[in-house]
Amino acid sequence: MTAGPPAPAPAPERGGAALLRRALGLRTVVSTSTGLAFAALEYLAAAGLVAYVAGDSAWIAVATAGLLALLAWGCFSELNGMFPTAAAIRLYMKRSMDDRVALTITLTYLTTIVLVVAADAFIVGTAIAHVLGQSAPVAALIIAALLGLAVGSNLRGVKVAGGVQDVATYCVLVATAVVAVTALVRSHRPLRFPLSPLHGHHPADLLEAVALGVFLFSAFEWVTTNAEEVRRPRDIHRGMLIALALLAAVCCLITVAMSHVLTHHQLGSAYPQLSLGRAAFGQAGLWLMAGVTAATAVNTFNGGFITASRFIYATAREGSLPAALARLNDRAVPWVPVLALGLVSLVVSLVVAATGSWEVLVAVGAALEALIYAVAAYCVLRLRTRLPEHPRPFRLPAPRILAGAAIAVFAVLAATASVSVQNRFDPVPLAVIAIGGLLSTAYVLVALPRVRAAAEAKKAARRPRRPPRPAQDPGP
Amino acid sequence: MADRHEIAEAYADWRARCNENDRLRRMLRGWDRVVHLVATDTGDRFTVVVRDQMLAELTDDAEAVADLVVTATSEDFADLFWGDLNPSEKYMSGEITLAGAQEDVMRLDAMSMVAFLDQ
Repeated sequence: MTAGPPAPAPAPERGGAALLRRALGLRTVVSTSTGLAFAALEYLAAAGLVAYVAGDSAWIAVATAGLLALLAWGCFSELNGMFPTAAAIRLYMKRSMDDRVALTITLTYLTTIVLVVAADAFIVGTAIAHVLGQSAPVAALIIAALLGLAVGSNLRGVKVAGGVQDVATYCVLVATAVVAVTALVRSHRPLRFPLSPLHGHHPADLLEAVALGVFLFSAFEWVTTNAEEVRRPRDIHRGMLIALALLAAVCCLITVAMSHVLTHHQLGSAYPQLSLGRAAFGQAGLWLMAGVTAATAVNTFNGGFITASRFIYATAREGSLPAALARLNDRAVPWVPVLALGLVSLVVSLVVAATGSWEVLVAVGAALEALIYAVAAYCVLRLRTRLPEHPRPFRLPAPRILAGAAIAVFAVLAATASVSVQNRFDPVPLAVIAIGGLLSTAYVLVALPRVRAAAEAKKAARRPRRPPRPAQDPGP
Repeated sequence: MADRHEIAEAYADWRARCNENDRLRRMLRGWDRVVHLVATDTGDRFTVVVRDQMLAELTDDAEAVADLVVTATSEDFADLFWGDLNPSEKYMSGEITLAGAQEDVMRLDAMSMVAFLDQ
């Protein structure tokens, strides 16, 4: 047993030729990063953002958010380079702060995945019901069916192939951009206040718009959990950068198109993208955007379920969550986390459907993601001090300035997003986050010591199976 | 440091447990893979081939292309194969690193867990 903190094992060599038979290339890294960010919730976030700025100037908030997302990109690129593993979030947080704080933050972060999965199920189910001319109860059934399908597929170990994911993601982006541009062109009206976001608005409104804009890019960093699968480690940070550019371009287009073409009522609905599709191509556009909305679920359900369930499994195997969460079925799938994720997502999406509170969901997601970006920046700074000699294939330039700015900016954005819904003060998102944080804290302080004690007791009760080394002959 | 003989002996025991475990064999259905093991302290490299739900013998040479590469110290490999080490703990602390698809990593961890569930 070594004393002191364990030294990290060096990453497997990646020579010029591909070391792995199945490795992800840059194209799939880009599609994964973009697809994880571009969930169906994206359309509602874009529609929500529009309310905070004047006329057709939402692209300014999106572009500003994109620049801020670059700060997050720099931080995650450095952290991913230091710890190119699916367990990176546990590693860099554990080494930056007290493990209990790290675990509390990580568990709260997991909430974001549940929210996005729940939101996507709600949006896709509601959109399909609307297109079919069906009522809310039917939408609820469709939501349940979608989540059931996602859970069933995950339990059977069905994973969307990288190629299918690539096609789905790029089709979603292209179709969305084409619909947005076409809707704008067919309006035959000039843009209103495209360069004046503050016209008739308070500066705090622009801040809120930027906070929602950051949410449009959020989850791009989840691709770092694929760091062990890539052909070249640098493809992760390059792919994330390209993903941010794609997201910025498409989100600028859809926010401007939505603000220019849609009515206030359409913007406040649960499916503004369908209205945008109809504005572009009539009934065919409605069906096109319904299909696009359903396609976004491919990445969300595939990526979100897998990422969250495997993370819960690994944390349970590590001994930081109850051992029951590490149970595997005969297809080596951690079935307890998958079922739990499905059930919680179903409850959340049905509550949202019943209360119409999807904008609260967007605000919670925006605040949580901004918080995580602030935490990532903090980890970059701490690790520069604690692990100065650790290899950093990617280094954030001027870390004290950039990471310091990221901490401040994202903390302010998180605070802003947590108390605003539909351009009105609303503490409900903050309350939801606080409850989630309290539950995580309660688990870490009360239940975790017992979980770890049980794991230690089980370990202590086991006799080592490894035979002792024969004593060396001391010689004459 | 564990030498090649110790790792081979440990692996032989682990291989027997895995190949005799019906549940584990069901989990490995359709999962034919080549796994490279790289010991960071000794520089030793090994190859494990999983085919038709069975683990083959450990070989010293490394095939050119693997589906999964596991990097750890020789001691960790020996302890892992004897069932005295939870690889997930070492993985979550960065002492064991992996290269490969997440689902392959899951199957490998499943092998280390299920083979010793009766312990």
